[in-house]
Amino acid sequence: MENDAPEISKTPPANAAIYFDGASSRRRAVVLHFSDRLEIVEDEQSLAAWDYADMRRADSPSGMLRLACLSAPALARLEVRDDALATELVSRCAKLDANTPGRRGVAVIVGWSLAAAVSIVAVVLFGLPLIADRLTPLVPEAFERRLGDVADSQIKTMFNAKTCDNAAGQKAFVKLITAIRESADLDTTVQSGVLSSPIPNAFALPGGKVYLFDGLLAKAENADEIAGVLAHELGHLKHRDSMRGLIRDGSTSFLIGLLFGDITGSSALIFGSRTLVTSSHSREAETNADGFAIDVMHRLGRPAKPTGELLLRVTGKEGKGLSIISTHPLSEDRLTRMSREDQSASGPPLLTPEEWRSLKSICNGKSDSAKKPDSAKKSGPAKI
Amino acid sequence: MNEMSWPPQVPPPPPMPVPPPMPVAFSGKRSEFFDLAKRGAALELVTLGFYRFWLLTDIRRHLWSNTLVDGDAAEYTGRGKELLIGFLVALAILVPIYLGYFLIGLEAEHYQAFASIPLIAFFFLFGQFAIYRARRYRLTRTVWRGVRFWMSGSGWIYALQASLWGVLMILTLGLVLPWRTAALERYKMRHSFYGDLQGSFEGRGWEFFKRGWWLWLLTPIAIYVSPIAPFIYAGYKAIEWRWWLSGIRFGGVRVESSLPKSALIGLYWKVIGWMALLGLVFGIYLALCAVLVASMSGEGLMEFFKTPELMRSIPLLVLAGLGYLLLALSLNIVIRVYLTRDLWVKVLGSVNISGIEAAANVAARGDLANALGEGFADGLDVGGF
Repeated sequence: MENDAPEISKTPPANAAIYFDGASSRRRAVVLHFSDRLEIVEDEQSLAAWDYADMRRADSPSGMLRLACLSAPALARLEVRDDALATELVSRCAKLDANTPGRRGVAVIVGWSLAAAVSIVAVVLFGLPLIADRLTPLVPEAFERRLGDVADSQIKTMFNAKTCDNAAGQKAFVKLITAIRESADLDTTVQSGVLSSPIPNAFALPGGKVYLFDGLLAKAENADEIAGVLAHELGHLKHRDSMRGLIRDGSTSFLIGLLFGDITGSSALIFGSRTLVTSSHSREAETNADGFAIDVMHRLGRPAKPTGELLLRVTGKEGKGLSIISTHPLSEDRLTRMSREDQSASGPPLLTPEEWRSLKSICNGKSDSAKKPDSAKKSGPAKI
Repeated sequence: MNEMSWPPQVPPPPPMPVPPPMPVAFSGKRSEFFDLAKRGAALELVTLGFYRFWLLTDIRRHLWSNTLVDGDAAEYTGRGKELLIGFLVALAILVPIYLGYFLIGLEAEHYQAFASIPLIAFFFLFGQFAIYRARRYRLTRTVWRGVRFWMSGSGWIYALQASLWGVLMILTLGLVLPWRTAALERYKMRHSFYGDLQGSFEGRGWEFFKRGWWLWLLTPIAIYVSPIAPFIYAGYKAIEWRWWLSGIRFGGVRVESSLPKSALIGLYWKVIGWMALLGLVFGIYLALCAVLVASMSGEGLMEFFKTPELMRSIPLLVLAGLGYLLLALSLNIVIRVYLTRDLWVKVLGSVNISGIEAAANVAARGDLANALGEGFADGLDVGGF
């Protein structure tokens, strides 16, 4: 090849090209003859003849036409640098660009991608909730409790919360939760407690754990308000909402994370749509848990309306803005519902004023070291 | 890209039958790559990321076909569809493995805390396997002078070696990195071929260590003084590139690189600069949107900002989402232009090849490998040479 190069540059013959036969890396200076086929000739000796209809364009640097041929060895290449010759070849080869996808090819890719996306969205919207509903009853309680234990320690570290168990307060809390639990027809495997944290919230974990934050106690004005909240959380336990949510949201994230590579732009779209999907399911679960709480309170002969009032006090008016991305129904609507379906108190109060006071001060004496009301979303807990 | 390269829109250059003899050159125009990245990023967004297989292929085709070695341009013959199929097959294998991993991990954690760590090691092993197989795919799609590169060897043996070296890496806090890289490169290059020309790797771990040990010492400082981190990383990459290239042999063909240590620092800072600039523009855009939405809601500006309404207003969320997408798009383009194309050109410019005569008459050999490895690498989010 060292010998060929200077030779060509001195006297470039007409129709000169470079040919690689695909069997060796030898660089051959050839001359092209146009007949009914393209003849590739080296030193008066024909190396190959290519059909014009079989010739395809191969990738090349700018300023060069590189050709492949379907009926030749797959890697045989013809390289043409001369413009006039290249133009001549392009005009003779009708199917030169049959392999290049062009606009139609891109449209096909876009079309199929969108179809795939639609199908994935359909699976996420309709398939996974169905699977979660069917699978949840099959998950053994022991397995769920194990998950709950993991979530439990995570939650406590996340909120930097300690369990409050001041004797008098604990006694009142046990009395309250036992009454609700029995009315809710749940067995004694339910674990519950008050955690010291200024965040006004309560949540249920998979495997029968219910926690109340001290911050919610501080905002509550009577035992009925808290009782309704606890009944709501027990509703989540009864329906195994955490487990269902875990299966559903876990598989959603898994499916989406695996299919769509880590592209910054689209992951925002995905995150957005996932928020919409999971929050709509979550709102449904919350509405059911509210219904459950109302029933339990009525069975106890206590009103449900105070709970609604507590919720509104905690969240403030939510009226305007976006309700489809929130995981819970609007507090106003929840209060309206609880008031509408309310009955006046027919049973005895759940706690004496004395017990209520001890419950409110269950975390007394302990400094609240909890910080930042950052309700980082984990798929584990279902909040009020 | 082909449509762009031929016929040329610009007046054709004077006929040049043979390019001036240069060991290695790059002929691609920056604007052409920029258009490619721009179009690809937009399509990636429209297809929710599925276009990545074709964009990756287009980028490789552009880089390969504009890389001239001894006057002849290389060619990348891989196609996006192959990557897609490889990805789907990898997915079919990975999904059951992930599920099994989840269940076994939960059981293991129940008996003993941190008992699931060996499982993470399994994924590391799998990732290394993917890296090897992905390299094999890329190599068999690389063609020069009508002869393809190819690779033998076993992905699993490589993965085992890489994992054992990985254990040593942890034990020595990364100090054995040069020897690890050298050993793994030796395995990869020994099993790489150009036609019937066998590759080998002559880089020594000790040379790599001599050039870069001070970076190892500086790394802990970079954790506290973050502005020096780009310098360290760029310096490390430059040293690694130079050492790696200078060790490559194919039969009698020897590659040399003279890349200076400081060669890549500018590129990384340009990317950081663009990120800062785009971030600033995004911030200003968000502020403007917030003011606009606030003034339309009719409430007082300060009042609006105090309430949680700000976080819930639909128009604001939509505007912020749009802005974010544009930001992500531009960042993708910036990273591809600087850290893929410009880096490639810069590194290529430092390369010198001797003994190229040995590649003048090489017999074609080797078969195509499938893209399963690329699929695994995509599914596991690993990458490598």
